[in-house]
Amino acid sequence: MISRYLILLLLTVSVSVFSQSKEELAAKDFFWGANDTYKDANDIPKEWTNESAVIIYKNVNYDFHKFGKNVTYTTSIRKRIKLLDKAAVEEFSEFAFTKRFRSSKGRFTWKKKGGTFVGVKIIKPDGSITEIDVEKDAVEVDGETKIAIANLEVGDIIDYYYYRNEPFKTTYAFGFDPVETSLGEEYPIMDYKLFFETENDFFINFKSFNGAPELKEIPTEKKNMRRYELIETNIPKSEYKRWFYPLVELPSYKFQVYFARSGKFEDRALAFLPEKEDIIKTSVSKEEVLDLYDSRFKPDGDVGDVKSFFKGKSFKNDREKVIAAYYYMRHYYLTRYVEAFYAKESNISPYPFMVYGYNVVFIQNQKQFIRHFTEFLKRQKIDYNIVVGKKRYDGSMDDLLIERNVNVLVKVKTATPLYAEFFSPHTNINEFSPLMEGTDVFLLSSEKSKKRIDVVENGKLPTSTYLDNETKKAVTLTINDDFSGIEITSVNSFKGHEKSDQQYDRLTFTDYVFEDYKKYETESWIDLVKRKKDKAKYKKEMDALSAKLKTKQKERFEEAIKGEYGVEDVEDYTYEINENGRYSLESYFTFTESFKAKNALIKKAGPNYILEIGKLIGGQIDLDEKERKRTENVYMPYPRSFNYSITLNIPEGYTVAGLDKLNKTVDNATGAFISTAKIEDNTLIVNTSKQYKNYYEPNSNWDMMIAFLDEANQFTNEKVLLKKK
Amino acid sequence: MIKYTLSFIVLLMISFSAQSQKRIDPTDKDKVLANALKEKFPDDNVALVTSKDFVTFGYNKRDQKVTVEHQAKENMINIDVRADIQAYSFYDGESSIEEFDIRYRNEKNAGFFIRDEAYQSEDLFHNDTRVQYTTIDFPVKGYRYLTNIIKHYKDIKYFTKLYFNGEYPVAKKTIVVVVPNWLNLELKELNFEGYDITKKVTNNDKGNAKIHTYTIENIEAMYKEESTPGPTYIYPHILVLAKTYKQNGKTINIFNETQDLYNWYKSLVNSLENDNTPIKDKVKELTENAKTDEEKIKNIYYWVQDNIRYIAFEDGIAGFKPDEASNVFTKRYGDCKGMANLTKQMLIEAGFDARLTWIGTKRIAYDYSTPNLSVDNHMICTLFKDDETIFLDGTEKFNAFGEYADRIQGKQVLIENGDAYILKHVPVSDAEFNKERFAYNLTLSQDHITGSVDKTFNGESRSSLLYYFNNLKNDKKDEFLEYYLNKGNSNIKVSNIETSDLLNRDDKINIAYDVVIKNAVSSFDDQVYIDLDFDKELSNFKLEKRKADYIFSSKKDLESTTRLEIPKGYKIAHLPENISVSSNNYDMDVKFSKDNNIIVYKKQFKIKNAKIETSDFEEWNGFIDQLNAIYNEQIILTKE
Repeated sequence: MISRYLILLLLTVSVSVFSQSKEELAAKDFFWGANDTYKDANDIPKEWTNESAVIIYKNVNYDFHKFGKNVTYTTSIRKRIKLLDKAAVEEFSEFAFTKRFRSSKGRFTWKKKGGTFVGVKIIKPDGSITEIDVEKDAVEVDGETKIAIANLEVGDIIDYYYYRNEPFKTTYAFGFDPVETSLGEEYPIMDYKLFFETENDFFINFKSFNGAPELKEIPTEKKNMRRYELIETNIPKSEYKRWFYPLVELPSYKFQVYFARSGKFEDRALAFLPEKEDIIKTSVSKEEVLDLYDSRFKPDGDVGDVKSFFKGKSFKNDREKVIAAYYYMRHYYLTRYVEAFYAKESNISPYPFMVYGYNVVFIQNQKQFIRHFTEFLKRQKIDYNIVVGKKRYDGSMDDLLIERNVNVLVKVKTATPLYAEFFSPHTNINEFSPLMEGTDVFLLSSEKSKKRIDVVENGKLPTSTYLDNETKKAVTLTINDDFSGIEITSVNSFKGHEKSDQQYDRLTFTDYVFEDYKKYETESWIDLVKRKKDKAKYKKEMDALSAKLKTKQKERFEEAIKGEYGVEDVEDYTYEINENGRYSLESYFTFTESFKAKNALIKKAGPNYILEIGKLIGGQIDLDEKERKRTENVYMPYPRSFNYSITLNIPEGYTVAGLDKLNKTVDNATGAFISTAKIEDNTLIVNTSKQYKNYYEPNSNWDMMIAFLDEANQFTNEKVLLKKK
Repeated sequence: MIKYTLSFIVLLMISFSAQSQKRIDPTDKDKVLANALKEKFPDDNVALVTSKDFVTFGYNKRDQKVTVEHQAKENMINIDVRADIQAYSFYDGESSIEEFDIRYRNEKNAGFFIRDEAYQSEDLFHNDTRVQYTTIDFPVKGYRYLTNIIKHYKDIKYFTKLYFNGEYPVAKKTIVVVVPNWLNLELKELNFEGYDITKKVTNNDKGNAKIHTYTIENIEAMYKEESTPGPTYIYPHILVLAKTYKQNGKTINIFNETQDLYNWYKSLVNSLENDNTPIKDKVKELTENAKTDEEKIKNIYYWVQDNIRYIAFEDGIAGFKPDEASNVFTKRYGDCKGMANLTKQMLIEAGFDARLTWIGTKRIAYDYSTPNLSVDNHMICTLFKDDETIFLDGTEKFNAFGEYADRIQGKQVLIENGDAYILKHVPVSDAEFNKERFAYNLTLSQDHITGSVDKTFNGESRSSLLYYFNNLKNDKKDEFLEYYLNKGNSNIKVSNIETSDLLNRDDKINIAYDVVIKNAVSSFDDQVYIDLDFDKELSNFKLEKRKADYIFSSKKDLESTTRLEIPKGYKIAHLPENISVSSNNYDMDVKFSKDNNIIVYKKQFKIKNAKIETSDFEEWNGFIDQLNAIYNEQIILTKE
């Protein structure tokens, strides 16, 4: 039995070795064969000689073929790069890849394996060419193949390709991962070519943006085969920039390919497919959005729990009712299960979900949320729209191309509309991604029939202001009698879009699940455990887990505060949550921290002391020369403000001098930095406000932004003198 | 549809794990023990109630090798509220893990799945080390697990030492080594001073072996500190010196003396082909126009430094045997042994007397008087010329000829010499050799300080800067210099940078530039307060809560002089006090003085042996406090 199996295994191995080499040769020929027009391209333009490396040719290929349900997906990339410094040599001196792998696409199959073929050659400055023997030079460990490139030096050209062949089987429609990228990369590119080869049953959505060249069709020998290419030259390198959306500004392309065998599967594909395979789809109309979603977001779900919750309760109006229902669902369909997840994750209970019984609702994705929530609205006869939109970094709805980029939420048409998004444990009603605020959207509704979504109109999502999204800190500073150290207490409050990151960072699960249990009179996970012995054991272990998480968290916060206030040693650190702020977007999440520190903020000046009070507003953006010369527009997440109130208890026997430098005002259309200082009852009170007023600023406003950013940064350098009386 | 989802998850969970069911709560006694251990070891999460190493030896007739069986049994207890840790054991081509099990305190199998993975090292491109590991969770305080790992060594050569300290503190640590009478083995006790280690030697029942038993109670975990001396300096341990064994009446040497270790190394070297055909042209090119021998040698040495990338394959014997020089040359990469061998062969090709040389870097406490594979970890090349011995280390990029990196200074080397060997030491240089000299000449202009700066770097301060600079991307080099000089502080504007040749490793580096400094001067009433230090070296260097010596990467010698012109109409109202401190390991000095209308602020920091010892800590920390007080103190000028 065993030996027969072994023979079988050997047989398949030898077959695959054979087929591999054939494929490998084909891959090699594809890039470096007789038709390679770049084989002698060795020169780079003068203006790029001071770069780290220059890509002479970059060629990216996507190849889609099928036989019945069998799909062969081949992606490959070739780069021919002139290496101009040691950093570049280092970068290209090692390669790692997986030679044979099993596709994760389609349905599982033991039969076919994918393969990766890599070819590397080096062209010396004298024109001599050495091809690396990848098979011989590589080492393979645990399935990963690594190769160190021999004889690679500054001034050489490295010409390599990765060729990845991935066969898989699928009965149903299958969407390949969308690709959305700008043309540029780390090194400048002289020639660039993107190439597609497809046949029937593959549907392509493709569009070029921001001046990137169009995809062009190339005639082919076969009727059912299609080829396309996009060619560009002289692409500058792209570098990371603050507040920048590359896909909105840089020459880019986006595409997605869908495999759908017959009309039936085409219909079921969750994508905006072109009408026919030989049409490249470049845009999506409102009507197509309606067509795709008419049944997908049909109200559905068991809202009996909400009905029970409403029993005996009365609401002023529909708005109040919807708000109550949203938070109830957030608990009943989500936070109620959080403890069990922790119990599972930390091995405390092997099957923690048993306690909830079988007939329960657990909302785990956007679609389910929309259907469930709209079912509730339908039952309550409350009118609503389904909002279909996109995040700002991905361009406007006019540029909609890829279904996966669509974000969906519910607009409840109460007197003042309410917006509801699929929730996480701290999501509020009326809270949705700030990246969608103020964007144009489609509004779907069921007007004519209550069974289908049948109306689509244009709409616009509301915006928030810098007043809505606020970080607020009240900092009290006390100096030791001998000026050897300081004590700081800060009350930190966050609302609007400034809040959720803080909540996820600062609240551990026990901080909020018990709040929800209490509010909704539900039982905790431990309460639901039936066996007495287990209950006691789980309680102890969950308490230990919570204590551990809190200790770890506090250690982390103590480290973080050192960075925030620029102090090295922190003593007596305390952390306390004042308000969870989980039941409305407008309410503050508030916590208090306090600590003592030595050698911080105070400088001795003869009998007097200089206090670096400006440092208490934390690190500010410190623009370098390159950033000042920015030529791009400015894309920010949302308008926001940072308001600080600093109270210094003036040490006895001292007066404060230098208040004039603490009064600053730069206030313009893009933002502001305003600070005031006054003395009141032996305290110095400094109030500062930094405001970013918009989501977006055209580059022409950049100077105005620099003005308030610089003023805020300068403030961190300001000092006052504590003068001995 | 929706409703099924949760039940599906539930089903999945049930089939998934049943192990937790068997878990048992800690006993009251264990809870008390956990609290007591936490008091002793407050910084640790987990402690070992007992840890026992049991070592036995065997003989493999087929391979004619002495084998080792190392059993490590640990009784782990959680001394924190909860702990999640990894239990692991490394092995490689010369060893295997025979058993790895984890049990509950009642000896029932805890059912953890042991993973087996290749060990990925940052420094080594490829190595044959693998690791078996699993994550174990202690749900409450006092929870215990019993682990048992048996590791088998195919050859006693690779079994080099036994430590008492480990990742966790131990209440009772026992090491038992059963040495059969046919094996001559020395158990060399190192760093035992100051530790209460009891030792007992008994005969086994059959009378054919001696049982060496070492015990120690309440031993700390290995320090989780950075920049410490190597573990062989600071922890008590037993160095295993396998000398000889008897088989069939014959005595066979393992590493009886240094010669045996050399013989084995030399046998690996002798198996090299040393076909130098591929390197001939390059050697000719590098030497034909050189006017002196020194220039020839430099050309070869620097070529190896600059052109051979460090890429290491530590796979089996490749960990000990150098690669062929011609291979390293053609591939343009290699490890230390490959670079040493290429340097040697190129020098021989050029007509010099060059030898391969084994060395343990500064991290290793041993020398060749204890022949053992853990004595060395590095290879360099030795050049004998006109009665001079010069060491060449191809891995030290931008290292000048005749200069030695701190990591090899003072270390003993084993130099090949036919059938014999030569022992020598790498010369030691003074801190002054690495001198960094900064000169700031500054004037006040309104709220700003402006002026010019001169900086020079020698020795290792020079080579590390050259190495860093030359490995940057071309388009980042200018940016880097600015950033390096203003330390990322945008209040300091750097301009007109002029440098000496940043490819030349033989001369000192010179960097001159102009500065404009904002926000360093504050005026209140008629007084001007000046913060005159922009570098504030060592301000973070208080060595508190530290148990081991602090080791610097090299010796330091900094001399920084700032001269500030007092503007007309002003006089000095206040200068900080001078400070100075001196010991075997450092000379530190900060002085303020007045030279006509110029304030002279001079810092001299010399770290003489690249370390601060624990016995220095109190004095050192006192100095750092004083230094920080100066850094925090303002110079005050008033109107005349």
